[in-house]
Amino acid sequence: MIEVRLFATFREGRQKITFLEAGQFQTAAQVTDYFHIPHEEVAICLINGRHSKLDASVKDEDVLALFPPVGGG
Amino acid sequence: MRYERQILMKEIGEEGQNTLKKSKVTVIGAGGLASPVLTYLACAGVGTITLIDYDTVSESNLNRQFLYHEKDMGMNKAELAGDVLNSLNSQITIHPVSERIDEENIGKIINGADVVIDCVDNVETRLIVNRECIKQDIPLVEGGVYGFYGFVMSIKRDFPCLECIGYGNTKLKRPGPVLGAVVGVIGSLQAVECIKILLGLDDVLYGKMLNYDGLSVSFDLVELQKNDLCEVHGRT
Repeated sequence: MIEVRLFATFREGRQKITFLEAGQFQTAAQVTDYFHIPHEEVAICLINGRHSKLDASVKDEDVLALFPPVGGG
Repeated sequence: MRYERQILMKEIGEEGQNTLKKSKVTVIGAGGLASPVLTYLACAGVGTITLIDYDTVSESNLNRQFLYHEKDMGMNKAELAGDVLNSLNSQITIHPVSERIDEENIGKIINGADVVIDCVDNVETRLIVNRECIKQDIPLVEGGVYGFYGFVMSIKRDFPCLECIGYGNTKLKRPGPVLGAVVGVIGSLQAVECIKILLGLDDVLYGKMLNYDGLSVSFDLVELQKNDLCEVHGRT
C-alpha cells in the first residue's frame, strides 16, 4: 500500500490519510490525479520525507506527502 | 521576581534564565507571526532582540499584528515594535532595523545571532534567509500560515532546509488568507522552538515539519530528509 498524506487546503473534501494499492499507481503524479489535485497547485511533494518531483516513481510502503503553498505571516 | 514562573521550570532555572539573558535573536519581519514571537521572547527575557521590517502599518495588518493599533497606521513597524517591546521589558536590548531584506544585507543582519526566526510572508525572503543561515551555520526557526493551516520547522546546517524540501517551488497567492489566531498559534510555536534551541534542549524540530490544521484541530509531524542535490547545502 502507498500511504498518502494530504496537508492544509488539500484536505478540504478529502481524507487526511489514504492508503492506495501500490500496483495501481506508478508515479506521484498519478496519485495526485487520483485526488483531482492540479499539478500546479502542489508546492511540496515528499516521498518518504524526501523532496521529489511529481514524475517520481512510487512503490509499495512509500509515504507520499503533498502540500499546497503555505507561507503567509 | 520578573521571571519567577519560568525559573521554576527545571528546564530553565537560574542558569537557563542567564542563558536567555545572554542570547541574541534576530527576527525577520515584524508582522503577524512576529507579533507573538517578539512579545514572548521579550517577556521571557531574551537579552538582545534584533527585528527587521521596512514596512509601515496598514489597516489590513490589524486583524493579526497585535503589536500595532489603529493610531499607528502609516507609521514605521520596526520603530513601533521596538517601542512596544521596550515598554514590555526595559531590561533587554531591542535593535529595530527598518530595511528590506535582500541578498546584499542579509549576511550582516543575521551575523552574530544565536537563532534567527523567519516571520515573513513571502517565499523569496524565506529562501534568502534560509540560504544565509545555512551559510553562517545559525539555527533558523521557520513558520508559515495559510488560512486555518500553518507549519513550523527548525533548520540548521546538518539538517534539511527549505531548499532541501523543494520549498522554492511554492507560489504563494498574495495577499493570502490569514486568521490572526492561527498566526498566533504558529508564532507561539516558533517562540517555543527558539527558546528550546537557546537553552540547548532536546526534541527540537530539526528535520521535522510540524503542521497545524485548525479546521480538523490536529497537529501532524512530518519527518524530512536532506536532499543530496540541495544547492544551499552544496555551497557549505
